[in-house]
Amino acid sequence: MMAGERSFGLMLLEMTLLVLIGPLVTGIIQKIKARLQCRQGAGVLQPYRDLTKLFRKGTVQADTASGLYRSIPVLVLAATVAAGALVPVVRAGPPAFPLGDALLLLGLLALARFLTAVGALDAGGAFGGMGASREMTVAPLVEPVLMMVVFSTAVAAGTTELGALAAHRGTSWILAWRAADFLGFAAMLVLLPAETGRIPVDNPDTHLELTMLHEGMLLEHSGPGLGCMVLASHTRQIVTLGLVSALFFPVGLADGAGATGLLLGAGAFAAKILALATYLALVESSYAKLRLFRVPQYLGIAFVCALTALALRIL
Amino acid sequence: MSAETVHTIIDDLGALLLFTMILILAASQIYRAIYAVATQSFLIAIAGGVLATATGNVDLWVIAGVTLAVKAFVLPWVLHRVVQRMNVRREVEPVIPVAATLALAVVVIVMSFHLSASLGSVRQAIAGNALPVGIALTLLGVLVMATQKKALTQMVGLFASENGIFFTAMAVTQGMPLIIEIGVILDVILAALVMAIMVLRVRSTVDADIADLDRLRG
Amino acid sequence: MAETLLWVLPLVPTVTALAMLTTRDRRILSAIDVGGSAVLVALTLVLAREVAAGGPRALGVFRVDDLGLVFLLLLVVLTLAVSIYTVGWLRQAVAVGNMKAESLRSYFALVHAFVATMVVTVLADNLGVLWIAMEGTTITSAVLVGYHGHQHGLEAAWKYIIVTTIGISFGLFGTVLIYAAAADVQGAAGAMSWSAIMQVAPRLDPGIVRIGFIFVMVGYGTKAGLAPMHLWLPDAHSQAPTPVSALLSGVLIKCALLGIIRFQTIAAAACGPAFPAEVLLVFGLTSVVVATPFILAQRDVKRLLGYHSVEHVGIVVLGLGFGGSVGTYGALLHVVNHGVTKALAFFAAGTAIARYGTRDMRAIRGMLAVAPIAATLLMLAALSLAGVPPFSIFVSELMVLRAGIGHGHWVAIAIFLAMVVVIFAGLLHHVGAMVFGEPTAAAGREPEAWSPLLAMMLLATIMVLLGLTLPASFDKLLRRATEIVVG
Repeated sequence: MMAGERSFGLMLLEMTLLVLIGPLVTGIIQKIKARLQCRQGAGVLQPYRDLTKLFRKGTVQADTASGLYRSIPVLVLAATVAAGALVPVVRAGPPAFPLGDALLLLGLLALARFLTAVGALDAGGAFGGMGASREMTVAPLVEPVLMMVVFSTAVAAGTTELGALAAHRGTSWILAWRAADFLGFAAMLVLLPAETGRIPVDNPDTHLELTMLHEGMLLEHSGPGLGCMVLASHTRQIVTLGLVSALFFPVGLADGAGATGLLLGAGAFAAKILALATYLALVESSYAKLRLFRVPQYLGIAFVCALTALALRIL
Repeated sequence: MSAETVHTIIDDLGALLLFTMILILAASQIYRAIYAVATQSFLIAIAGGVLATATGNVDLWVIAGVTLAVKAFVLPWVLHRVVQRMNVRREVEPVIPVAATLALAVVVIVMSFHLSASLGSVRQAIAGNALPVGIALTLLGVLVMATQKKALTQMVGLFASENGIFFTAMAVTQGMPLIIEIGVILDVILAALVMAIMVLRVRSTVDADIADLDRLRG
Repeated sequence: MAETLLWVLPLVPTVTALAMLTTRDRRILSAIDVGGSAVLVALTLVLAREVAAGGPRALGVFRVDDLGLVFLLLLVVLTLAVSIYTVGWLRQAVAVGNMKAESLRSYFALVHAFVATMVVTVLADNLGVLWIAMEGTTITSAVLVGYHGHQHGLEAAWKYIIVTTIGISFGLFGTVLIYAAAADVQGAAGAMSWSAIMQVAPRLDPGIVRIGFIFVMVGYGTKAGLAPMHLWLPDAHSQAPTPVSALLSGVLIKCALLGIIRFQTIAAAACGPAFPAEVLLVFGLTSVVVATPFILAQRDVKRLLGYHSVEHVGIVVLGLGFGGSVGTYGALLHVVNHGVTKALAFFAAGTAIARYGTRDMRAIRGMLAVAPIAATLLMLAALSLAGVPPFSIFVSELMVLRAGIGHGHWVAIAIFLAMVVVIFAGLLHHVGAMVFGEPTAAAGREPEAWSPLLAMMLLATIMVLLGLTLPASFDKLLRRATEIVVG
């Protein structure tokens, strides 16, 4: 069953949609966490309020920062949003206007990560440098795993373009999973908290702990710059979740361009993202943050799973 | 069920078995390793049920049931009790870094698949990927025993190893003779009990982990 | 008649074990012990006559052929010797508090349960039953190894049960693979029976049999004490009560060897004799080489004998690896010779330990003055173990050597000879120092007890007899057993 091509307009629409609902996903995760901890918690729209507040404020910048520093948040946001364009949201099928594939997506995310670290170092703050060095310790463990998971599914589909990959897998349910998919998905489940900067690898709720990774790098940013960085991390989160659902659960993605199909696809996408968000919230509430030197051991699980998945596909 | 479906399901279960094995290898707390091995036995029991349905072999139902009762519930429960009775530090102490263990695990898994890919037509005598998965589980169980200093983790490794053998044995065309499988399970229970008694006995006399004793050398 | 004996034989030690539980009196327990063993010997001799006259017999999962009979005879004779030895040894051990008088019955029951499992391994035709019984020997003997209950004993027992259990799970995996290969050829019915598999062995898939044989080799090799899986052996042999050490070294590791031989014949038929021979040679040479430095540097007399078992198992496996009629015959003869001699050595060493209250060879001096008969027998056993003519081990080692030369394994022969010479010097040095010289003050000088001497004399007689002249009936038995292996 080969779906039709996705039009360029639809892809732009999907990208905008991702950026717009990114903060909502964060809000939902925070809400679920709060409820699990028997708190009322802020409303699910709180991330939007935070963002509007940030974009209204002025910018304060470290004296030591170079000219590059001001452009970093914009670049990071641009790279992340561009990555969003490569994720199929409501429709499967190859794009009419080939922008790039899963590898480009991972590359863009890596670029955003790199720029964030550069910015943190540029500001010259102690926390920023520490956060950057930790992030760069974790990144080499995370990115190869992502690559391998993508490859392990791509080998079967014969393409690395996510829309086509989703179309190849078809919209059937778990019975279409091969052995490698279980391991690949397991690797992704282990990896998700790391990629979205959550417990047990990172702690998104704090700026004070010595163990923080991502938040440490944002300390020196302020005003609209910080707003861009925060929006970028919301987007990165939903892009990663979208990647997982495109790789493993393309079910519900519309085959044609009909309005009902698209609506159904949107609904399925929302359900899948909600499920993954719930998973993240559950993990965050039930585990403690790992000591930094335990993180490689934790990510090692994902690494072995992904490598085994790849081996299963090839051998 | 068609042979194709059975092979797919066995492959899928094999992948999940490997996942539980990886969790055992990387477990930082003894309880998690115990839960992982219980889950593994549970998956083996499911595999037994699937194969029983597919082949119509009643013996396999019995074996699946016994596996479920003994290895998924009783033995983990015994281990659990022993951990409670010992009241030890529950963190696992690996001899070599966990990262190195995991790297070795990858080598073992790839090697097992490579090995069984080199076999000829006889592969059809064993359903799906049960042979390479079985080899991998058996060897990885040994890896757990070799890299952990705690007696209880060594027992977990032993059970995992035995799970690998059972998985392959079930998937051999029509399964093993019932009497043999029952005998094997009986042996495993006895060995586990003797080990548990030894562990508790050493703990009560010298307050040390039996696997940590190293006076006998040379 | 013979068929009935097949299931009566394992039942005898089982019943003996149960009978032990009815009393606590040491004398009665010892009497049941010796009686049970004697019945076992008598029944085995009857069975041996039947088989010599009418060929192999099978009943259900049990089957006896000449190959199994060689091991069965060794097993029952050593069991009887151990029972006789235990009478005097136990009296002394209870007197000094090494054994608790109230727990003796469980000790005796375990020993006979151990013997029962070993009888099953020898008689098993079904490879699954063979495995189950083999694991049974591990469980029963592990409890015996840790029987003294002190820290060292439990450490040795733990190491023993963990290493061998994991080892023989490999054996089970190998068994499953061979079963899969056989089931593929002839269907599941009877695909676990050794005799049935041998019928179709040439048609088995060589690839899977190869993997299976390697698994079995590692698995049963662990149990047999082959290096590098021998780690449990010196600990278990040194910590177990002396009669149990004799059983472990004399019989148990031989039972594992029988398992290896059974699978070797299957592998040789399925993938040609060269493949199993190569595997056997590698393990055999490794064992001989690895054991040597430990024998030289050893201070604990029972550990010395333990490492010595590693060496001799290596020699047996080398003989099987060299193959041919000569090599296999030599290997089988060596199994018997080593079993008898090593049990004798353990008995004599146990007497020395009882006298001096230590296993440290530096503290055991001048045994000839303290216990002259036991000392002489210890010296004889050591000379035999070292391979001096005219003792029996010299004969079998020579046959193994001849087989190696005949097949042109020059490198293996060179290494083997070098190690044997080094071990010869090392062993005689150790034992010489123990036997001769001034006895230390701590040595007990009471007269020697009759029962250990009787047991040792029995074994020494067999040892000398096998060296000087091989009885014709036994020679015939070995020849037929060799035929089964070589085909």
